[in-house]
Amino acid sequence: MKKKQAATEEPAEVNLDTSEENEAPVKAKRIKPDAGEEEEVVYHPVKLSRNDLYRPPTAEELNQLKEAESLFHCSLLKMQMGELLKEVALSERRKQQIDSFIQTVTKLFQTVPDSPEVEVSDLSWLSGTVKVPFLLLPKITKGKFHMAPPASIDLIGSYPLGTCTKPHVMVDLAVTIPAVSHLSIFFQTQYPRKRALYLAGLAQYLTSSSDIGTMRYSCLHGNRLRPVLLLTPPDKNSSSFTVRVHACPPPGFFKPSRFHPQRNNIRTEWYTGLQTSHSESSEPPTPHYNSSVLGDLLPRAHLQFLSAISSQCSAFADGVALLKVWLRQRELNQGTGCFNGFLASMLMAYLLTTHRISNTMTAYQLLRNSLNFLASTDLTVNGISLARDADSTAPTLAEFHSAFQVVFVDPSGHLNMCADMTACTYMQLQHEASVSMQFWDNPTVDGFHSLLMTPKPMIRTSDHVFQLCELVKLQSSCKKLNLLSELMDHSGNYIHTALPFILSLLQQGLDQRIQLLTHSLSPDPEWSVESEAPKYKAQPPLSFGLLFRPELAASVLERGPPADSPKAAEFRQLWGLRSELRRFQDGAITEAVLWDGESMCQKRLVPKQIITHLLQLHADIPESCVRYVGAMVDDVIKSETKDTGEEKSLAVVQSYDDLSRKLWRLEGLPLSITAVQGAHPALRYTQVFPPKPLKMDYSFFDKEKTCRSLVPKEGKPCPAYITPITVICHMEGSGKWPNDRLAIRHIRAAFHIQLGELLRKHHKYTCRPCPTHLDVWKDGLVFRIQVAYHREPQVLRESVNPEGLLVVRDNEEAQALEMATIHKPLLTSTLHGLQQQHPCFGAVCRLAKRWLGAQLFTPLLRFNHVFPFVEGVFPTDFSADYTEIKNGFMASRESLPVMFIATPKDKKLSMWTRRAPNVQMLQRVMMVAAESLKVLEQQLMDGNQIQDVKVVMRPPLEVYDAVIHLNPKQVPLLSQAVDPPSVTFSRGVMTGSAAQSGGSLPVIDYNPVSLYLAELREAFGDLALFFCDPYGGTVIAVLWKPKAFSPVPFKTSQVSARSVKVTGDEANTVPNVEAILEDFQIMGKGLVKSVEARTEKWSF
Amino acid sequence: RVFLSLSVLSLQFNSDSAARHSLYVKEHKVRAEKSSHRPLDRTLFVLNIPPYCSEDVVKELFSQFGNVESVELRDHPGSTQESGPKLSKFFRPAGKQGFNVGYVVFKKSSSLTAVKSHPHDVPLVVCTEQRPVRTGVQKWIQQYTQSFIHPDKLQQTVDSFMENYDKHKEEEAERQKKEAEQQKEEEEGWVKVTRGNKGTKARPHSEAANQRTLQKEMRKKKRKELMNFYTWQHRNTQKEHIAELRKKFEEDKQRIALLRAQRKFRPY
Repeated sequence: MKKKQAATEEPAEVNLDTSEENEAPVKAKRIKPDAGEEEEVVYHPVKLSRNDLYRPPTAEELNQLKEAESLFHCSLLKMQMGELLKEVALSERRKQQIDSFIQTVTKLFQTVPDSPEVEVSDLSWLSGTVKVPFLLLPKITKGKFHMAPPASIDLIGSYPLGTCTKPHVMVDLAVTIPAVSHLSIFFQTQYPRKRALYLAGLAQYLTSSSDIGTMRYSCLHGNRLRPVLLLTPPDKNSSSFTVRVHACPPPGFFKPSRFHPQRNNIRTEWYTGLQTSHSESSEPPTPHYNSSVLGDLLPRAHLQFLSAISSQCSAFADGVALLKVWLRQRELNQGTGCFNGFLASMLMAYLLTTHRISNTMTAYQLLRNSLNFLASTDLTVNGISLARDADSTAPTLAEFHSAFQVVFVDPSGHLNMCADMTACTYMQLQHEASVSMQFWDNPTVDGFHSLLMTPKPMIRTSDHVFQLCELVKLQSSCKKLNLLSELMDHSGNYIHTALPFILSLLQQGLDQRIQLLTHSLSPDPEWSVESEAPKYKAQPPLSFGLLFRPELAASVLERGPPADSPKAAEFRQLWGLRSELRRFQDGAITEAVLWDGESMCQKRLVPKQIITHLLQLHADIPESCVRYVGAMVDDVIKSETKDTGEEKSLAVVQSYDDLSRKLWRLEGLPLSITAVQGAHPALRYTQVFPPKPLKMDYSFFDKEKTCRSLVPKEGKPCPAYITPITVICHMEGSGKWPNDRLAIRHIRAAFHIQLGELLRKHHKYTCRPCPTHLDVWKDGLVFRIQVAYHREPQVLRESVNPEGLLVVRDNEEAQALEMATIHKPLLTSTLHGLQQQHPCFGAVCRLAKRWLGAQLFTPLLRFNHVFPFVEGVFPTDFSADYTEIKNGFMASRESLPVMFIATPKDKKLSMWTRRAPNVQMLQRVMMVAAESLKVLEQQLMDGNQIQDVKVVMRPPLEVYDAVIHLNPKQVPLLSQAVDPPSVTFSRGVMTGSAAQSGGSLPVIDYNPVSLYLAELREAFGDLALFFCDPYGGTVIAVLWKPKAFSPVPFKTSQVSARSVKVTGDEANTVPNVEAILEDFQIMGKGLVKSVEARTEKWSF
Repeated sequence: RVFLSLSVLSLQFNSDSAARHSLYVKEHKVRAEKSSHRPLDRTLFVLNIPPYCSEDVVKELFSQFGNVESVELRDHPGSTQESGPKLSKFFRPAGKQGFNVGYVVFKKSSSLTAVKSHPHDVPLVVCTEQRPVRTGVQKWIQQYTQSFIHPDKLQQTVDSFMENYDKHKEEEAERQKKEAEQQKEEEEGWVKVTRGNKGTKARPHSEAANQRTLQKEMRKKKRKELMNFYTWQHRNTQKEHIAELRKKFEEDKQRIALLRAQRKFRPY
């Protein structure tokens, strides 16, 4: 395979991918450069000698084999896990680097000089450019401060525990502030401020040292009261790890009971600077503030606890690493309120202490069990606690639940480790865990790959996504929602204050429509030590993802409680002026909200209306701040009437149902009809532009009298394209059918004539019989009925050999017939059913087909049939198509077709793809798909770019050797183009309702472009490839086949379009390019505007 | 210009065309030509005929060298194989539209030399004002118009074909019957006693049936065999199982190595 690839120097080549895994989109670029390195590893069948295979097994080997057999589907999974762990684990070299850097930092810290005592407000000792990572407001504080070397320096967190994983290696270092630094217990005022000063002092001291690379400030969980100092080593691989310095109070510095979630630790008076009448007791509790302070005190205790656990269970570190990888792929491991690695280890520890998992289990089992636990336990209702024998001052779980949304209490019993997490994040976690469990149990899906290797960012997992752009506006929503005390609790972070309230508001409003509401986690800000901390509003916009319930999401009516019920007031309060009293058909008079939306594509945007309305009404967020991403790509499959065609497909299906009923009822046929089946994309809702009923303008055409048909006129624009909708009509088997292929064809023709005659007589349809089919003009649509006889493929296969033996040999003709009359209709009805289950299936298919068409791939891939198997794994609306395309390219094995698609009926042969895509084409498609996905995601998520999703639909023409420009007048599907031209041509169609049945037959299936392409491919197929967008493309791109252009010795079977060069005794032939280019012109006379040769490729 | 006993003619579409195709011609020479409609001395073999030249156009083109009797265009060189009854044009499969080879049969053999001596730089012109050749949109419209078939005509064709077919069938049956009788008589007074018509079933006449009988035999044999009956048999099965597991393990190991080389295990 490698050799072949080297010979064909296709410009758009990537290396061949012989494995069966599909490529994750982001890695498309990575695999390109190391083609050379791959050359060495070639997969060849394993040869084991008899000795190897049959030698007596050792006990250990037996165990290993048994384990692989019983625990994993096969040993492959076990090895995959092992390899993955190797990839994320820290190397020994890296560990040494970290250790030595930690040592230097520790040494430096121990030599911090003592400084004279100063007032807290006096910052003059802090010379230089280093700033204090803290807002020094209000200014009234008094107190003393002086620098001193830290009392102790310890490693904490994942690194000493051994659960640290690549990338973004973060080593936590706790620096204990010495008691002499006058830390006082006036918390709100002094403690955080002095800590910030201490950090600034350390930073200033380190600036003079050459052993430290860059220094930055950050803050823990986005909380500005908990600044940390980030240090990187000075050498060039400085990005390899970061040391995070936490300044901690000395142990036992305060009593944990003081930070009970129901106690207040911030005086309103101090926070607002106003005198208020609050007495001590009526101050609001500050649970978030309390837990953040407690969090400073406990890390060492947590480390001790976790190391004790991990020493008992050998696979603990590996299990945690796997869980971290899983979390990271779902973007749940970073940002405020995330489920980070620390929580992952704590969860594992909880499962171990409660004996849900035993100490002897493997990493794989640990992961599986923890996912199972996450999927089945709701921490928002039933919190869990690690505290075994908590002291009496510790709060109860109920008290935690009243203060926090998600509860997971640490071993001390005082701290809720999930304090910042919103219920929505936990729900997302739970949803992901349960989906993962399903994937794992499904033997047809590669569980390892989909769970641990595939990134699942929000844009790809949600149906619709919207962003809040100007976060400053959340300040006013805090005011509107009356959240002063909560704002105080979050120490002024208005985003985190408002978020839970906005989420619950949306949850309430969208209610039954959504399965899941998710939101992005705001990342921890980082800033240089020489600048001030960034403002809250500087963080990237908040994104929200919606996962719909397909049956309810698009409903336009929100029906509320009856007008006289007590709940009505609540409903009115929620919806404001949009709520109206309505009387329904069942006689009930209820409150209701009616949203606008007529066609399917407008209805899909009902959630948008709801969201903007609610945010405006309750949170004071104007519509301009909401950037709604959803149903944006629909544009390209919109027809002139500005709908996305779901309704039209439905109309076609209804018309077809009617026809099929009428066929069933026909009387007077010699044999009865046994089945009527549709076999056209429009009947499985996957026709990109569903046919629409037309009424013809007779004056536009010539007429053929004898057959009552219209004929296109020369000199006029090409008439509108009418696609015939194929219907297969199976006739009863009978002894009367002849046993000869030609005779069967003639009998079929006779049936076509007779069917046509009967339809004309009983239903007045205009019909036109042909030997191969019967065209019926009905309701402005054309149906093409093909009579089928179930034994015909068999007859085609049979032949009698010279000895008189009846032989059955498979052949192309029989396969093609079987495909058309048996498999295609079957698939059509399967897909029709699928559409009923997943309503967006049709639209997704059509988008994908449109995209393939626009990228000029259609001739090579017939995607009509790809989709049943990649169905609604992610029932997303706008970007799922790309994900699914990639799922489609699953297996490529040596002996089988490159693209292997199994259907329920056809499990081994992959009949739909046997001929179509070859390796190069598939590679190209994958590459372009990956690129398009990247562009599309960027555009959808980045608010600053001008949104033009059509970019992914515009193919580059640079790579092609010649371009044939077509005359738009003769392109009948011009209006379907990605960028439809402003000029339109009259195509003999009258506006107004569709014609009644009867009248002359219109021009059917006449498309000059496809006729031209067929001719070109027949004439020059072995010299060049021709690409054209079948949906209104006005350009045909030509790519010469490099092989055809190398000179070949003269052969009578290989002279087509070639000219001979005689040199000495040899006569070689090369393609006669000038003549070929002229032939392009001649063969497409009237259609071709110009032929443009782009390269001088023929001079090889 | 002549090479490999082929002479070259150039051909252009109309008089303003800039580029030319080359036709390669020689006399038709085959060791064993059976069909009578390609007489060896009068037939010209033409290579590389462009798609827009139909049989009529080729006939016109070559009639300047002498009267043309017939023209046959095919997509690849080779002898004709005619089989089956003559089909009406509605049922004939559509021909290919690519580059063709042609067999041009002249009335006189002297025309062949005329062709071969035609100067290379004087091109044959396909489309002239006297005989325009339709291509592109014009041609497609013409094709579309010609695709109409009147139902009555179609019905007639079908009827006549089926009549022929039935007649043929009957004749065939008659012939077989006669043969059988003949065989009976030939055996000198002895009459073979068979089970009548059913007797034909005794020996299957199709490949599938042959295979079925074979498989039946195999199954019978297998049923008689005892598996895991003796201890050594049992031991062997276990051994095989472990060997199987080992083999799979090795295969998986290799696959992993391959994937690792492609850096498939980097999760991000």
